[in-house]
Amino acid sequence: MFIHAGIILGVMVVVFVAATLLKVSIELSMLIAAVAGAIAHGVAFPARHVVEGAFTYFDVTLIFITATLFMNLLKEAGGVSYIVRAIISRFYRNRVVLLLLLTFILLVPGALTGAGSVTVLIVGAMVGNVLTYMGISKDRVAAIVFLCAAMSAAAPPINLWAMMTAAGSNMPYVGFTLPLAVITILGALFAMFYLGWKGTPISVERALAELPEPPKGMNGFKVAAPFVIFLGLVLAGRVFPFAMPVIGLPLAFLISAGVTVLLSPKRLPIFKISCETVENLLPLIGTLTVVGILVQSMALTGARGLISLSVVTMPILVIFATLFLVLPISEGVLQYGAAPLLGVPLIFLFNMKGLDPIIALAGMATIWPLGDALPPTTLVGRAAVMTVGYDGPYYQGFLKRCIVPALFIAALGTVYVVFSNALSFLVAG
Amino acid sequence: MSPKRDMSPKRQETSKILTSKILAVVVWLAVMVVAGIQFYQHRNFKEPVVLGPGVTQVKTLGDYFPEIKGTVNDCNIYILDSGQPGGTFFVVGGTHPEEPGASLSALHLVENARVTQGRLIVAIHANRSASTVTRPGEAYPQFYHIPTEWGVRKFRMGDRWSNPLDSWPDPEVYVHYPSRQMLAYMDVRNLNRTWPGRPGGLITEKTCYALIQLMKQEKVDAFIDLHEAELEYSVISTIVAHQTAAPVAAMASMTLTAEEFPIGMEFSPASLHGLSHREVGDAIGVPTFELEAPEPFLDRVRGATGEYLLLTGKDEFVMKAGEHGLLYEKIDENGWPIDVRVGRHNSTILKIAEVWSQVNPDRAVVIENVPRYAEVKEKGVGYYLLNPAEAPKDRVVYE
Repeated sequence: MFIHAGIILGVMVVVFVAATLLKVSIELSMLIAAVAGAIAHGVAFPARHVVEGAFTYFDVTLIFITATLFMNLLKEAGGVSYIVRAIISRFYRNRVVLLLLLTFILLVPGALTGAGSVTVLIVGAMVGNVLTYMGISKDRVAAIVFLCAAMSAAAPPINLWAMMTAAGSNMPYVGFTLPLAVITILGALFAMFYLGWKGTPISVERALAELPEPPKGMNGFKVAAPFVIFLGLVLAGRVFPFAMPVIGLPLAFLISAGVTVLLSPKRLPIFKISCETVENLLPLIGTLTVVGILVQSMALTGARGLISLSVVTMPILVIFATLFLVLPISEGVLQYGAAPLLGVPLIFLFNMKGLDPIIALAGMATIWPLGDALPPTTLVGRAAVMTVGYDGPYYQGFLKRCIVPALFIAALGTVYVVFSNALSFLVAG
Repeated sequence: MSPKRDMSPKRQETSKILTSKILAVVVWLAVMVVAGIQFYQHRNFKEPVVLGPGVTQVKTLGDYFPEIKGTVNDCNIYILDSGQPGGTFFVVGGTHPEEPGASLSALHLVENARVTQGRLIVAIHANRSASTVTRPGEAYPQFYHIPTEWGVRKFRMGDRWSNPLDSWPDPEVYVHYPSRQMLAYMDVRNLNRTWPGRPGGLITEKTCYALIQLMKQEKVDAFIDLHEAELEYSVISTIVAHQTAAPVAAMASMTLTAEEFPIGMEFSPASLHGLSHREVGDAIGVPTFELEAPEPFLDRVRGATGEYLLLTGKDEFVMKAGEHGLLYEKIDENGWPIDVRVGRHNSTILKIAEVWSQVNPDRAVVIENVPRYAEVKEKGVGYYLLNPAEAPKDRVVYE
C-alpha cells in the first residue's frame, strides 16, 4: 500500500512538474496530474471522479463569484472612489488615521470574497495612488497592497483556506470570526505602518485631482446600504432562523449587488461587468475546481492518505518550527490546494494533541496567503506590482520589502497554533 | 497555397484558440455525459428488500407526516408485530449512508427477525436522500457488493449529508431547532444533527420531525440509531445513551463485553444538540441508544479509497496511525470487516432488547432468528440475506 501510494504520488508530481515546464498553466497541470494519478491507479476513464471532484468547492466558488460581482458593481457605481476621496479630504492632515482607514479599505473586498486578488483588482490601484501621494516609494506601496490583500483574503467572514480545511475535517466553519479578525487586522496594520509610516505629507489637491471622480448623486448612504442589507440578511438568518427562509450566501451577495445597481447614480452595464468579473476570476475558479479534482484523485489512489500520514506522524515541534515556511511555499505551488492536502491532516493532528483546532486553523489560514507572492504562481504578488505600477525587480525589490511584515504575520500565525488553547477565549460564533 | 497559409498570423492564432476551445468543450461534454449516466444510475438504483417471516406490514414515513409523502425521504417503514402484548422498539439504519454496517444490520432485522413478543419497527434508509449521493472530494465507490450463497447483492453507497439536489443552499450558519445552538452550515443536511426536527424546516429537519411523529403514533418504547465511526474519532465501539436509556445501555455493554466483544457505554452529552441520543429522549421521552462500530474507511489517513477498504476495513495507513497512538480503537492486519461490524450491531440490538425486556417485563420485546456477532463473523453478512429472485413478488419491496 505504501509503495503503491508512493508510486502514484510520484507519477502525479512528475506529470505536474513536466506540464508546468511545458508552460501549461498551473490549473491544467494539476488537472493532468490528477487524471494521470487515477489512470496509474487503474481507473482507465475517471470521468465520475473528475466531475464529482470538480464540485467539491462548488458552494465556495459561487460565494466567490457573487461577492466579487457585488464589489465590482460597487466600484463601477463610484462607491469605492467616493469612499477613498472622502477619507482623503477629511483626514489628509492625520497620517495615522489615514493609514488606518486605508488599511480598512484594503481589508474589505478580500474579507467578503476570500480572495486577495479581488482586493488588488478593486481597490489596489486607488489606494496605491493615495499611498504614493503620501510619499511612499513604489516598492513599499506594492508590498503594502500585497500584504494587506493577503490579510484581507484571510480576514473573516470568508477565509477559503479555513473553509476548505474545515470542510475536509468535518469541522464546522463556525467560531472563526474573532480569531481571524484579530490576527488579520494586526497583520495588516503592522504591514501598513511598518512600510507606510515614513513619507511626506499628502498633497490633497493633487490627490483629489488625479483620483477618479464619483458620479454625481453618490453619497454615503448609497455606499453603505448594500453592506447593511448584506449584514441584515446574514443576521436575520441567525436571529430569526426558524422564520427566515434559507437563501445562502451567494444569493445574499446577489441581493446586495442588486441594491448597488438600484442605488447607483449612473446606469451600470450589468452584463458587461458580470462577464468581466467571471473572466477575471477564471484562474481562481479554475484553481478551486481543479483542486477538488486533485483531492478526489488523491483520495482515490491513497496519495492523500500517504501525505496525511506523513504529516500526522511528524514530531510536533518540527511542525511548529516549519509552518512559517511550509505553508507559504505550499501555497505558492498549489494555491488553495494546499489547504485540503496539508491543512486537514494538520488539523487532525493538532486536535489529537489537544490543541484548539479553530485557533490553530485560523493561524495557519493567515500564513497561507503570504505564499501568493511566491513562485511558481506569484499570482497576487504580480497583480499588486502591476496594479501600483512598480517596475523594479520583483524579488530583490518588492519581495524583499515584504519580508519583515511577512515574518511578523507568520510569527503571529505560529503563536496562534502553538498557544491555541490559551487563545481559545477568542472563539465565538 | 493552402488556405491556412493565406491566413494572417492573428487569424491563425484565433483559429488555434477556437480549435482548442471546441476540443475542450467536446472532451468536457464526453466526461460530463459518462459521469452523468453514472450519477443517474446511482441516484435511481433500487435496492430490493425481501420481507422476512416477521414483517407484518410495510408503511412509509409519509404515513406519519404527510409532507414527507412522495419525497425522496419517504422511506419504507417495516413493522414486525408479534401480535402479543409488549413494548415497541424502533431501529434505524442509514442515518449516515456512508456507514453501510448500519443499513446492513437493519436489513438483517427485516429479512430474518421473528418477533415473539411486542413489536419491532425498522427503517433501513432513514435518510434516503443522503444515500443517493457520494461525497465530492472523497472518491467513495458508488456501490458495494455483498456475496451470498446464491449470488451477489448490490447496494448503494451514500454520504453523511442529504443530497444537495434535495436540499440547497445551506444557510450561512445552521441554527438548531429548538436549542438555537449554532452548528456547521452543512449539518442542516445531517440527519443526526437535526433531531427533533421541525415541520417547516428543510428536508432533513422534516425527516426527523416525521420520525418523531412515527415514534409518537406507534408509541415507541425504545429507539436505536445505528452508526459507524472512523478510528480517529473518540466516540467509537460504544453505546451512547440518553439518561433514560443509561441503565439498560450499561448492562448491555457489560454483558456484551463479558460474552461477545468489548463495547463501551457513554452518556449523551447534555449540551450537544441535534443528535438522536440527546433530542429524542428530551423531546418525547423515548429512551435512545446510538450504536457506534469501527469503520476504517472513514479515516482521513486511509489509503486507497474503494469497495475493498469499505468491506474489509483493512488499511496499512490506518494501522500505522494506530502505532503512533493516533487512534481511539485498535486495528491490526485483520482490519474491521463488514461482517464484524454488522455482527456487533446485531448482537448489541439483541442484547439491548434482552436487557430491556428483563427490566420492563410488561413492555418486553423479544426478537429471534437474527444472527449474532459470532455467526455473522463466521458465515458472513451475505449468508443471512435472502434472494429477491426466489421470493414471492408481494414479499419484495424496493428502497
